[in-house]
Amino acid sequence: MNRVSAILIAVVLSVAARAAEIHPPQQVTAGTSITIPSSGSGDATFYLIGPDVASKRKVRAGNDISVDSDSLQLAGRYVVVLCASDGCASSNFFVVPAAANKVSLLVHPSRVPVGSANGISTVAFVFDNFHNFVMKPEQVKFSILPKDAKEVSADRGSQNGVAWVRISSAKKEGPVRIAAAIGNANEVRVVQQVAAEACNLRIKASRVKNAFLIETDPVRDCSGNSVPDGTVVSFTKSDSAGKTTVDVPIKRGVAKVEMPIDGRARITVASGVVTGNELDVAGGQAQ
Amino acid sequence: MSAALRYSLLILVFALLVCAFAVLHLGAAADSEVPHVDFNADNIGPRQIEDLTSKSVPRDYGFAWQTMEQALNENRAGLLEGYFTGLAKQDLSNRVKSQIGSGMHTRYQDRGHKLEAIFYAPAGDAMQLRDHAQFDMQVLDGDKVIYDEPVNAEYIVLMTPGADRWLVRQIQARQMQDSQGEK
Repeated sequence: MNRVSAILIAVVLSVAARAAEIHPPQQVTAGTSITIPSSGSGDATFYLIGPDVASKRKVRAGNDISVDSDSLQLAGRYVVVLCASDGCASSNFFVVPAAANKVSLLVHPSRVPVGSANGISTVAFVFDNFHNFVMKPEQVKFSILPKDAKEVSADRGSQNGVAWVRISSAKKEGPVRIAAAIGNANEVRVVQQVAAEACNLRIKASRVKNAFLIETDPVRDCSGNSVPDGTVVSFTKSDSAGKTTVDVPIKRGVAKVEMPIDGRARITVASGVVTGNELDVAGGQAQ
Repeated sequence: MSAALRYSLLILVFALLVCAFAVLHLGAAADSEVPHVDFNADNIGPRQIEDLTSKSVPRDYGFAWQTMEQALNENRAGLLEGYFTGLAKQDLSNRVKSQIGSGMHTRYQDRGHKLEAIFYAPAGDAMQLRDHAQFDMQVLDGDKVIYDEPVNAEYIVLMTPGADRWLVRQIQARQMQDSQGEK
């Protein structure tokens, strides 16, 4: 009889002294609070280790342990540890992204020549409210909002939280707004469309004192857009003394330079890879 | 004769101390070795990866893990400056701050990474990668080890180019999709 009592007491004690255990849910949605059941008894320390957190606090083993939503906003792997007098028990779980509700947009370049086919790269990253990548496919709506034209839009499905599209620039210079939207979230970037290379570059010459003033017509690209001020135009004079080149930036739409000329000379003009007309000048006369 | 023996013993003890120090120091240095990264860009798109980029991305990703492991072990957020940016740097800095506040630190024994490039932006200004990482993770409260387990995890990573290197902008662990599961 005494032996039976001893065995019973031993069993009761062993159950009472059972190591603390902790059982978190396997998966939690970002930004939601959870309650973690624990077993064991007595004072214990509860640890939570996650992508941006490493906290500890005193708890009673055997009670439910609550973890607030603020500690579970980042998606990723979390470890929970419960340390009581008889040792530590641990478990881990994953926080998964909440619903897609944010979009981050990368648009490149910020300035693009007009008429550039697929010249604008647009990449949208899909996030939840806590800036976690939303990995499941979502539809992202890309829109092009020109200044004086109708909006154009297209849907693209995201893969691993990324959707992308290539956009061609318009024929007319000016800003264009590019947007990506998912649900109520909308992100906009502005790209400046600038004139392309000069087209039909033409020069004329007129006499000023002992030199010639060489001047371009207003410099425009092939679509009629003014090439921006500051774009360099090169004037080259070839005469018996050799070749002389002068680089001049466009100011107020035209480029001009004064060149002293003795005898016969040939003047050429170029901007980037584009060449213009040639002028032959002799004895102070343009030909 | 006895004096010579004494000096010999002293020299021997000194040599042993030097060896012990060297062993300890080498051990510490091994902890901070750059992790091995196997890189695969066979399925990358829409942009094709450049030769130089295919070398610098795995190199810089390895450095990022090395500095992250050091930062979390030594609780030095400043170490994250080199290879992290944006939210990744902010989140890991918060983790270090949180570890300091609770008197904890984390030790990693890195067992390597299988890094796969899955998206390279048309303009070359962002790359998304998938990393299958294996490491041992030890969490300590003061000097007491409270957690010690091998981890087999998958990360989705966003890297962007900096002035002279690629930086980790976002790193997010996710449940492994295959049957191996994560420990």
